[in-house]
Amino acid sequence: MRRVAAGRLGGAVLVLLSLVTIVFLLRMAVPADPVKVRLGAGASPQAVERERHRLGLDRSMPVQFAAYLGGVLHGDLGESLHTRRPVRDDIADFLPATLELAVTAGLLAVGGGMLMGVMGATARRGGGVLRLVFVAGASAPTFLVGLLLISLFYQRLGWLPATGRTSLPTAPGGPTGLLLVDSLLHGRLDAFTDAAAHLVLPAVCLALAPAAALGRVLRSSLLETYGADFVRTARAKGLHPRRILWRHALRASLSAPLTMLGLQVGLLLAGVVVVETVFAWPGLGLYTVQSIEAADFGSVAGVTLLLGTAYVLVNLGVDLAQSAADPRLRTV
Amino acid sequence: MTRRAAPGLLAVAMLVSACGSGASGGPGAGGPGSDVLHLAYYGDQTTPDPDVFYDVEGLTTILPVYDNLIRYRQDSKDWQPDLATRWSRSDDGLSYTFTLRSGVVFDDGTPCDSRAVAAAFQRRTDVNSAPAYMLADVDHYETPDATTFIVRLRKPVSAFLDYMASSWGPKAVNPAVLTAHAGTDHAQTWLQTHSAGTGPYTLASFQRGRRYALLRNPRYFGPRPFFREVDIDIISDFSTQSQKLDRGDLDVILHAYPVAELDSAKANSALVERDFSSYLMQLLYFNPSRPAVATVAARHAIAEALDLPGVVSQVYGRLGTLATGAYPSGLLDPAAAPVRYTDDPAAARAALPGGLTLDFAYVSDESGVQRRAAEIMQQKAARAGITMTLREVQPAQTYDFVKDLAHAPDLLLATNTPDAANPDTWARILWGTGGGLNFFGYSNPAIDAALDSGLRTTDPAVQRAAYGQAGQLLAADWVLLPVANIRDWMVMRSDLTNVVHVPNYAWTLDVGRMGRG
Repeated sequence: MRRVAAGRLGGAVLVLLSLVTIVFLLRMAVPADPVKVRLGAGASPQAVERERHRLGLDRSMPVQFAAYLGGVLHGDLGESLHTRRPVRDDIADFLPATLELAVTAGLLAVGGGMLMGVMGATARRGGGVLRLVFVAGASAPTFLVGLLLISLFYQRLGWLPATGRTSLPTAPGGPTGLLLVDSLLHGRLDAFTDAAAHLVLPAVCLALAPAAALGRVLRSSLLETYGADFVRTARAKGLHPRRILWRHALRASLSAPLTMLGLQVGLLLAGVVVVETVFAWPGLGLYTVQSIEAADFGSVAGVTLLLGTAYVLVNLGVDLAQSAADPRLRTV
Repeated sequence: MTRRAAPGLLAVAMLVSACGSGASGGPGAGGPGSDVLHLAYYGDQTTPDPDVFYDVEGLTTILPVYDNLIRYRQDSKDWQPDLATRWSRSDDGLSYTFTLRSGVVFDDGTPCDSRAVAAAFQRRTDVNSAPAYMLADVDHYETPDATTFIVRLRKPVSAFLDYMASSWGPKAVNPAVLTAHAGTDHAQTWLQTHSAGTGPYTLASFQRGRRYALLRNPRYFGPRPFFREVDIDIISDFSTQSQKLDRGDLDVILHAYPVAELDSAKANSALVERDFSSYLMQLLYFNPSRPAVATVAARHAIAEALDLPGVVSQVYGRLGTLATGAYPSGLLDPAAAPVRYTDDPAAARAALPGGLTLDFAYVSDESGVQRRAAEIMQQKAARAGITMTLREVQPAQTYDFVKDLAHAPDLLLATNTPDAANPDTWARILWGTGGGLNFFGYSNPAIDAALDSGLRTTDPAVQRAAYGQAGQLLAADWVLLPVANIRDWMVMRSDLTNVVHVPNYAWTLDVGRMGRG
């Protein structure tokens, strides 16, 4: 198992190194002059050259790559042209909002997917409707689903807020940056409920697609497991169907959904960009969109590296979990 | 299954839209009589530092917080007092004397006297960001007494008073703050999240990606603003802004309201569309380095094929008029540098018998107006055998075209506004050699000479003639076509009163004078 872990870890390092290289090359190939973007239309040619030198953009590509790689290894992702702050600081500001949204959406996706899968496999009443809702939500473009949710729950019914993380100017701003957690730490129930209300629509919007995917995989996996000998034996022994489901069939059916869960993290992170734009959620997705519009590709590269690393690490975790659960998978 | 589900969801959406009642505009966070004004930007501004900031969206955070020496009047290019009550220029055009308002203090109580203003002007030069060019010809400042501020120039700058009134012009920044938070960057880091001005508001909060909040400045020298607080949310999606406006949680959509949707806004009695004169102008750039558009004859023929009068009418309706001069209307008499467009596809076809295939780029914008204009031009051009391949580019990408002109697009459609109500701030940046918005590296020494003579004279008649000549030379080259004079339109809650707009301050309202009825 240790050898497997080392092998997977080595592979992950290689993937991350490739990611850094690709991000750097894309950054170089971007058709926009970052210095002119930064200094604006009125800047003199001398000022442009001075800034280019200050940012190290007048050096050769290998030298720039070495400097970039060294910076990344030390957590230095450069300076944002748009905000004029270190990209690391910007990411630290915007990350908590995305984390809160992604984790909530992830939990909703797992819960919703489980519900859909189990209800579908056990032919419970309402399973079909649930599947229809999830699959319909997952089939429509995310921005359309977002606008629909806003139109229904904010504009028409007035039940939920449409934008931002909180309506309270006095909402706690630390220590974690996760509003739900910080509200609890400060004993601010009003801030907690307000933050939770703001979270509902974007999290549901983000969770629909992964939930539908997980649910479908879990359903087919469960149906296959229900046909297995050990389930028939359990039924013959007179075990209660609920016990068969939760103690036997579900555990044996989790391998495929787990694999799917790792892949869905990527989908979730990609969806963040659209969802944060529609719901004015001040996270990394919104930051990325603004950076792209401002040709601030240093910032885009920083976010790409962060999300890419998260994706690789989550899949590494899934790999290792599967290897631990199923000895047949312990081959490098 | 999935193919069947998407139409189903759309049907649900239509049902929701049809049976809902929210479109009538229920009470939102603002509400009748509320003393909080709710605005939105589509994206974060780079910084609220007035010596660095050089975009259009974001001026609503700068102009109510910092004061210029002078400002433009409502719907005008005439100057009016701001921090300075009087101003004069020496006969040689090398000295400007400003008499400052006495008793003005910054938001922390520090006096705003002539030395404070001189320090703020010097900071702009020291920071040396884009707006620093406005003070590039300053030799030194003199402060003989607390209310007299003299600027000595090395060379005459005919646009100098317009620079002073420009939305990006020099502002009074608290010298005490600049000293206390100087750091190694002239307090740029501190001013990224704080303010230090004399205006009717102070920047109470600058939360990137979330919200900026302005609070009434109790020490403001002018009339007390109606709104206690101005909240500016960052909402990058127009539909979301629109739904918040409908519900009353947003008071104004400051720009990029799609023309095609204005009728639906008018159907809501709680909303009103207002449009103002502006210097916004839609422009069509030709890239003379590309063989297809290298000659004046080819460019002229293409322009005739595009039916620019029809395009402007179709795209902007009453919110835009066909350009008749090289400068935005109001900046210089169109007759001084006239342009004239006709719709003559037959003549274009005759001039370009083999037809053309063109790479046509347009700058992306939130309202989609450039795309619509580009698509109509594409259809029109086809009548003359011209095939246009359209592509959208980000504003930032346009700066890179000049690096590789041979591979840059043949044409570019964009909208711009001058830095000030002065023809020099339009022509020099757009057509002057090396100008920041001269995306295709156009260069005409005769134009440069005319612009220089306009800038360095003290005689208004010579100025007008020089800028007129520059415009005529440009028009003769058919290399940058002024297409449309565009009004600055906004959709807002109908209970807002005293809505004041200045043509040079695009996408911006004077929130210090606004009220709610």
